[in-house]
Order: sequence, then C-alpha cells, then structure tokens
Amino acid sequence: MKPDNPILAGLALLAGLIFLSPVLYSIWMSFQTSTAYYTGAVDFTLGNYRLAIGQYNFARYLLNSLIVSGAVTLIGISFATMAAYAFARYSFFGSNLLFAATVATLMIPSHISLIPNYLTLAKVGLLDSYAGLILPAISNGFAAFFLRQYIRGIPRALDEAAYMDGASPLKVLWRVIVPIAKPAILSMGLYIFITEWNNYIWPLVATSRDDLYTLQVGLARLYRINPGEGLINWPLVMAASAISMLPVIAGFVLVERHLVRGITMGAVK
Amino acid sequence: MPRKLTPYLFVLPLISFIAVFTYIPIVTSIDLSFRQWDFMTADKPFVGFENYRILFNSREFWNSVRVTVIFAFVSVPIRLMLALLIASALTRETFSRRILRGALFLPSVTSTVSIAVVFSWVFSTDYGMANGLLSLFGVEKIRWMQRPDLALGVLIFINTWKQLGYDIVIYIAGLQAIPQELYDAAAVDGGKRRHVFRRVTIPLVMPTTYFLLVISVIEAFQVFTLVSVMTEGGPAGATDLLVNLLYRIGFTFFDIGQGSALAVLLFILLIALAVIKSRVLGRKVHYEA
Repeated sequence: MKPDNPILAGLALLAGLIFLSPVLYSIWMSFQTSTAYYTGAVDFTLGNYRLAIGQYNFARYLLNSLIVSGAVTLIGISFATMAAYAFARYSFFGSNLLFAATVATLMIPSHISLIPNYLTLAKVGLLDSYAGLILPAISNGFAAFFLRQYIRGIPRALDEAAYMDGASPLKVLWRVIVPIAKPAILSMGLYIFITEWNNYIWPLVATSRDDLYTLQVGLARLYRINPGEGLINWPLVMAASAISMLPVIAGFVLVERHLVRGITMGAVK
Repeated sequence: MPRKLTPYLFVLPLISFIAVFTYIPIVTSIDLSFRQWDFMTADKPFVGFENYRILFNSREFWNSVRVTVIFAFVSVPIRLMLALLIASALTRETFSRRILRGALFLPSVTSTVSIAVVFSWVFSTDYGMANGLLSLFGVEKIRWMQRPDLALGVLIFINTWKQLGYDIVIYIAGLQAIPQELYDAAAVDGGKRRHVFRRVTIPLVMPTTYFLLVISVIEAFQVFTLVSVMTEGGPAGATDLLVNLLYRIGFTFFDIGQGSALAVLLFILLIALAVIKSRVLGRKVHYEA
C-alpha cells in the first residue's frame, strides 16, 4: 500500500464518518435512556439491550437467526461444493444440461417461487418450523458456479495421484480439493451466511409464531407494532437494530482479513 | 460404488433442491395464474386469462408499474454516476482510501431491515436527523414519510445510500482493468483531467456501466424490504412497488391466482432483462486488444 497524505487521510476518514453517521448515531442512541434521548441529556444505559433481549424476545430471535443462517450455510456450501466438483471433474450424460440449469438460477427472480414454496411447505406441514425456514434457501447456484470455476483451476494431476493411492472420489474431494479450494469455499460460505442472515421476505411469509421469528422479522415487528410516530421508543428500537446488524459487521471485519490472506496464500503453485 | 453413478450422486442434492424450490415453482406459478383460488376452497377452477385481465384493468397495478419504473430509472443513473466519480477517486490503493472504501461498502452487507429502521428515525418528523439538520438552516419540519411526493424520493435516497458501495467496488475493478498506456498517451497529448475522464475513462469503463445498469434495474424491480418496513406502500400508494403489491395480493388478500399472475409477469420482465444483460455484455466486454 502506498504512503498517505495525512490531510487526505483525515478528509477520507471524515467523509466515511459522515456517510455512516445515521448508523453510528443509531448505535450511540441505543445506549441512551429514552428520557435522556427526548430531553437531549446524556445518560448511558444498557437497559435498552436488556429490554430487547429479555422482554421483547430478541435472545430467541438471535438464536433462531444463528440456527437458520448456520444451517443454510453449512448444508448449502456442502451441496454446492459437491456439485461443483462433479461439474468440474466429470463429463457425464446430461452434465451440460444440469450445469446450465444450475447457472440459470442466477437469472431467476426468487419472487416467482414465493407462493408455490409457501404452498409446498404448508402441504407437508413445515410452515412455522426451522426446516421450513431452511430448506428453500439451501440450493445456491451461484456458489456452485463460482466453486466450479475455482476447482477447474486445480491441476488434475493432484486428483490422479490420490486415485493411484486408492482413494475414493469422496476422499479426493475431501482430502485434495476442499483443502486447496478453502479460500473460495470460505468466501462463498460467508456470502451465503450474510445473505441468509439478512433475508426478510421468506421468514416473514413462512413464520407466524413469535418464537420462530428471525432477527429481521422480529425487528420489523418491534418497529411496526409501535403505535405511531412520536410514541416510538427509538433507543429501544435502535438497540434491537444493533443486535441484528452488529454480528454481520463484526464477522465481516474479522473474516475479511483472513479471506484476503487465504486467497493470496492458498493459490495453487 | 459403480463409477458411472458417482457424478450423479455428487450433483443430486443440489439439483433436487433446485428442482423442488426453483423450477417446479415456476411451473406451479404459471398454472396457478390461470386459476381462481383463495387457499380456503378445495377446488381451483381454471379461469383462463381472467387474472391477467383483472390485473391489467386495475388502477393499483398500473400505479405499481409507474412507481417501480420511477424508482428504477431515477435511482440507478444517480447511483452509477456517483459511483463512477467516487471510484475513480479511490482507485489507487492507499490506507485512507481503503478505509473510505470499507465505510462505503459496509451498508451493502448490512441488514436492510436495520437500515430501514435507522432511516425511519432519520426521516421521522419530530426527532429525526434530516429535519434536525435542516432546522439549522431555518427550514420548517417536513413530514417526509407522510407526503406522497416525498416518500418515494426518500426510499430512492436510502436505496442509493445502501447500494452505492457495491457499485463503487465493481467500478474500481473495471477501472483497474483499463491499460495504463491509454492514460499515459492521453497525458502525452496534454489532455486535461476532465477531458481524459470523458474521452478515456467513461468509454472504456462502459462494459462495467452496462453490467451495473442492468443488474441494478433488475434489483430495483425486486425491492421489497424497505417498502415493507418503512411505508407498506403508502402514503396513498406512492411507494407501492411491484413486489409489495405481490405480497399484498398473495399474503394479505390471499388471492393466489392474481398474485401468481403478477409473479409471472414480473418473472417474464426480469428474465428478459437478464437475457439483454448477457447479450449486451457478450458483445461489449472485449475492448482490450
């Protein structure tokens, strides 16, 4: 990285702060008592978080979001990696068609499947269940496509050497391909996790029970059930909002560095 | 395990989930769009194009189309212009530019519901940040979200704020792909910065612009969360984007046939845009000799 002009650096920092000021202020606000907020005094408290987590069930929403996003990520990335491996290494009857069908999902707007998926899950009794939240989000054509490109760049000689030693295809995938493709798999996993964590319309449609709401649905409810402008307890709402966005922001900041390092170091020699 | 089956076993989980939750639903939606059904009754009588006819004759539908088109074609050009200007200022890697890039990118990975809630406060009448800032200049309190002429503009502003960082990151990648010799040549010819920007940067970054243009329009036609949390389509239908109408017809009125008809129309439109994207990009990307 090139050295920096301190004046420019200061200006850049200022611009970033101004740009993010609504979010930063909302986090500041979440630590204020509501009376302090309305009177303009400064009085810090963790009370809003205690209220959101205790009385308004955000502990449960947080758990639900972790379960749903975690399951979607783990299962989704496994399915995508397996399919990517087959598409990258085998040519089999129908492989072109199946790959085209996978890539075409990138063009297909998800709203076309909203009503049918609701009907399907209602029919098998999976509305208002973790399975109902997880299953429709599992298939990820983009991840499969991306990982296939990545795996094609791994020399086939590595597979063949493993086969010589008597490894099965599953073992080759697990012991040879996955370790080398780890940076790509991690970044795709992160992408799936963030997308699912922020998902709103499907959890909104698929759940009607408070104890199954994800953070996004719970937050939208908490905000919308407030009786009207002026009466909203903004510090409480901002604490709930912070609970829903901070894990992703923190995770992104932490993992980004790891990802960049992984991509540069894990490159195949 | 017979060798021939191996690849099929590897693709089976992904493909079966894609089939059940993506491809079969398309067929189901088309079928349901020709039927009349409200979840309650056992039979779903075939009604031909009746659902489409009702939709095409309703004021709500055309209002939604109008609002969505305005949303897309106002917000996307603003975003792209801003993004290109900022991206060209941030192309070289320095510490402060990386920080700024990170700050600009952050909203695009942040939850839309949280952003909607935060900006509901920003644009609230009595204690909001927007009116607070304007009051410094002596401007009277504005009821942003209650005024039909302003509410859509506010949503466009928020969407721009949220998506800008993504556009910038893509533009930076596009700008870095422009060969440095072209800039050197322009410098030798004594080109002014503004001139170089117009004659070299803008034309050469065109493939990226096309790409962002089409995907942003596609995405604008699918906006739902901001509307659902902030306005529910109001005031007076001023922010009733198409997916919000779809949600209302399907999951508030439980008119499955008509909801499916709207979903099918949206599907056709977005697929057409996606095809245009691959056609246009297929031809335009090869500018480097």
